[in-house]
Amino acid sequence: MDAHATGDPVGGQPFGPHNTVTVVDPSPVNWLSITWNTMEEANRVDHDGIGQPSLAESWRWLDSETLELTMRQAVYQDGEPFNAGMFKLGFDKVQEWTNPHPPGAFLNFARDVTCEVVDDRTVRMRFPGGDSAALMKLRGMHLPSIRFWDEWGFVDPKTGSAEGHW
Amino acid sequence: MLTEGVSLIDSRSDRVVMEPNKTYWNPDRKPTVRIIYDNVIGKTEGIKSVAAGDGRVDVVFDLTPDEAHAFPASEHGKIQTKKAKTILTGVFNENRPDSPWRNPEARRALNLAIDREFVLHQGAHGYGTVIPAFIQPGRYGADPEMKPFPHDPEAAKSALEAAGIGGRELVFVASPAWEGVVAAIGQCLAKIGLGCRFVSAKEEPPEEFDVKLEWYFDWTPQYPVACVHREFFGKDATLRQGPEDPDFDALYDKLLHTPHEPQQEEVVRAVERYLQDQAKALFLYAPYTLFAVSDRVAFTPYDTCMSELAETRIKG
Repeated sequence: MDAHATGDPVGGQPFGPHNTVTVVDPSPVNWLSITWNTMEEANRVDHDGIGQPSLAESWRWLDSETLELTMRQAVYQDGEPFNAGMFKLGFDKVQEWTNPHPPGAFLNFARDVTCEVVDDRTVRMRFPGGDSAALMKLRGMHLPSIRFWDEWGFVDPKTGSAEGHW
Repeated sequence: MLTEGVSLIDSRSDRVVMEPNKTYWNPDRKPTVRIIYDNVIGKTEGIKSVAAGDGRVDVVFDLTPDEAHAFPASEHGKIQTKKAKTILTGVFNENRPDSPWRNPEARRALNLAIDREFVLHQGAHGYGTVIPAFIQPGRYGADPEMKPFPHDPEAAKSALEAAGIGGRELVFVASPAWEGVVAAIGQCLAKIGLGCRFVSAKEEPPEEFDVKLEWYFDWTPQYPVACVHREFFGKDATLRQGPEDPDFDALYDKLLHTPHEPQQEEVVRAVERYLQDQAKALFLYAPYTLFAVSDRVAFTPYDTCMSELAETRIKG
């Protein structure tokens, strides 16, 4: 039988069937797995379930309301550089919506949370009243490239809305 | 790098293709293989494919305990388990103001009626770990002093009779995946004179059900209360089957305003103790996540239950 008869894409891709892993994932949150396989955030959770830095290489609470994050030097796959401005762009985009996250409003940043670019690699987020869930929320704040925002974004073309669609 | 297909909450393309990002910054997570999510073949056929080694499927996610147990001896593939951050727990139906399950003594008594190790082994082939409340021992937020409720059928029987529940048939709503677990619970209940009826969660649940089994998982970076506990008991909980709980809400609010460690983890432990002190749920166990995996693949499962595949490799 032809290996990967149902899974070998056509079109002369650089990786042949021998380098293809075909999976079946019936999980209702498969959409989230695909997102986390193809997007990146400030932080992530490793295979042992432990939080790890990702596009932010470190962070610290300056006081009970101010979180400072240091961004990693990295480039997107299309060559566009990642920097603190891209983090700010991701924050501004998610804040445009009332309830962007499918799991629920507990992932929302409060409306009065602010994000300031200090320099090319540093941002400061201010959480009036404090928010110990900040790092959990950042795990759900995707940081894609300009090309993604310009060509796709999270807006559902059927509804014109990104509510519940992030 | 997504090159084909989509996976949305309400729809999926027949397949989703991801190519490795050759310029990715993290050498530990630099993908080496093309990944194809096949959304046509289905779980049953996928499991058969892994066992047969026909090359169509390499990894199948989310097997039920029965599916994993039935996987045949094969030289082409195997069952892989992961002690993920999951729970299987029973939510008491406290919707009616006169529900007997609003009484913590009744909830505690039903917990005492359950032999959890028996339920795990009889009902789920042992694929899991008995836990005290919602967090596994050794994980962030677990209270090392907490133990699972003991199995004490005599105490359970007298307390349930005192609460007016003696001799009843209890209705358990659950996914068909957990029908064996409900059957094992029923064997425990039979020993104290209670009946047990399984109702599939795929049907409209009867208004008068007693307990609904829910599987849930924690994907967070050490912030389980917001993801899991809140989903069962918080103001905005989607799984709550009863009134709001101001005491839980106060603990959650305290957590939100405790940004520093070790104080934050101590609040998480307090939440866990509160759940057990109030017998807020019928605590059961943490199910393993179960996969059928081809021998040609070195598969790295995630404790978050997400199918993140950056570390997955082809052997050799």
